[in-house]
Amino acid sequence: MPMVVGVVAGVAVVAVLALIGLFKMMWRVAEPNEALVISGSNHRTEGLEAGMGFRIVTGRGTLVMPGVQVVRKLSLDLNETELQVDCVTHQGIPLRVRGVVIFKVGDDFVSIANAARRFLDQQKLMSERVHNVFAGHLRSIVGGLTVEDMIRDREKLTGQTRAACGTEMEKLGLIVDSLQIHEIEDPTGYIKNMAMPHAAAVQRDARIAQAEANRLATEAEQASFARMAEATRDSEILQAGYQAERDKAGAKARQAGPLADAAARQEVVVQETRVAELEAHRREQQLQADVRKPADAQAYEKRTLAEAERDARISAAEAKAKETELAAAAEATRVKQAAGAEAEATRTRGEASAAATRATGEAEAASAQARGLAAAEAAKAQGLAEAEAIKARAAALAENQEAVVAQQLAENWPEIVKAGASAFGNVDNMVLLNGADGMADVFAKALTMGGTGLGLARQLLASMNQNGQAPGGTSPLNGSAGPASQKVPVEER
Amino acid sequence: MDDASMVGLMGRVTGTIGPGLVGEVMVRVRGGAEHFLAYAADGTARIECGTVVMVVEHLPPRSVYVTRAYDS
Repeated sequence: MPMVVGVVAGVAVVAVLALIGLFKMMWRVAEPNEALVISGSNHRTEGLEAGMGFRIVTGRGTLVMPGVQVVRKLSLDLNETELQVDCVTHQGIPLRVRGVVIFKVGDDFVSIANAARRFLDQQKLMSERVHNVFAGHLRSIVGGLTVEDMIRDREKLTGQTRAACGTEMEKLGLIVDSLQIHEIEDPTGYIKNMAMPHAAAVQRDARIAQAEANRLATEAEQASFARMAEATRDSEILQAGYQAERDKAGAKARQAGPLADAAARQEVVVQETRVAELEAHRREQQLQADVRKPADAQAYEKRTLAEAERDARISAAEAKAKETELAAAAEATRVKQAAGAEAEATRTRGEASAAATRATGEAEAASAQARGLAAAEAAKAQGLAEAEAIKARAAALAENQEAVVAQQLAENWPEIVKAGASAFGNVDNMVLLNGADGMADVFAKALTMGGTGLGLARQLLASMNQNGQAPGGTSPLNGSAGPASQKVPVEER
Repeated sequence: MDDASMVGLMGRVTGTIGPGLVGEVMVRVRGGAEHFLAYAADGTARIECGTVVMVVEHLPPRSVYVTRAYDS
């Protein structure tokens, strides 16, 4: 029994497994990137109108009758085609364009049906086909563009591509996701030349910028060097300053010992000096007490005594002076009174004497007047007489000058001879060489000299008479003297 | 998978639409976003990139006719 159960169970399991295997064979699932194209049965034309005889399943499972229906898969994956096309631009410039076209089968049933009919057995060749299509179209597209458009106006390129290829690819059931131009080879160097001005400008700008940057960098560098030098200098200055401070401190530290010694010694010396000073002070004080104070006292005593003595003497002298002064005053009074009396007496005597003298003088004057008058009278009479005589003599002279002169010579002869002899009077010792004769000669010469004077007198008289001047008259007083009156004419002539 | 549902969908222009030009619009459809070749519905309008458009006609497989979604 159990055996039967086991067999039944085994059979059931096998049956289940067989059913599962059968279902597995019949059930097909379309993956997201593929479409199932099922043909062979006409009773279900899902998704498509009748007429084509196959159905398309995407994204789900479907039951397929093995042996009755055929299932084919069409990949909806992305495909790409490398393009390498020699073409000529609108300007006639040959270019080689290399690019890539990215395309896929359209997702709608129409596109899948179109593509399935065209590529179901040639999915590997799809790229080649597309390449051929695009190569021709790209030539025409590039032929309608210039190089500048191709490089700069991608929108235009894309638009042209879409216009030319879009409908073409629509027929194939494909859609173009992207057309990329990778590279434009330029055998004539057109693009390079086209880029050259800009490249040169860019290069120029770059060089300018580089030079400017170099300049700025150099400036900054030099400034930095200057700053570094400055910093180094400052640092060295500071270091030198600190070194100097260290040296100073070191020197100070080194000198601290000797300095302390010196300070200590100085303190000792100061204290010693202080001691010496104190001793000197004490000694001085002692001397003051021992010597000076007694001396001062003595001196004071002496001085006091001397002063007292002096005061006493001064008082004595003053008293004496007073006494003398009083005595002198008394004497003076006495003398003055005596002198006054004497003067009075003298004056009285003088007055008496003067009166007597005046009386005497008056009497004498009267007598003298009388005598004078008498004498004058007499002189007058004598003058008149003499004048008379002179007049007479003048008359006589006028008549006979020679006689008068001779007479006068004769009258005066003794004086003349006396005068001539007076010449010898001064001779102390006269030597006469000729004896008596010699003596006679000398006297003769002396007399001759008198004669010469006579001649001279004559000449003078003559000259006087020639001038018509009368001989001057003599004053009565002169005429009073007899000898003098005789000499006057001689001297005046 | 009803292609008729394309009509009335909103899309965005990714390639300028104009006379003599073949434009491109991105339309949200079938759970994703697909691009379609686009033409102006009135034939003369020029629609720049970025403009929101509405599909007024769908010509299978991949062509749509669009018009501006908003008057501007």
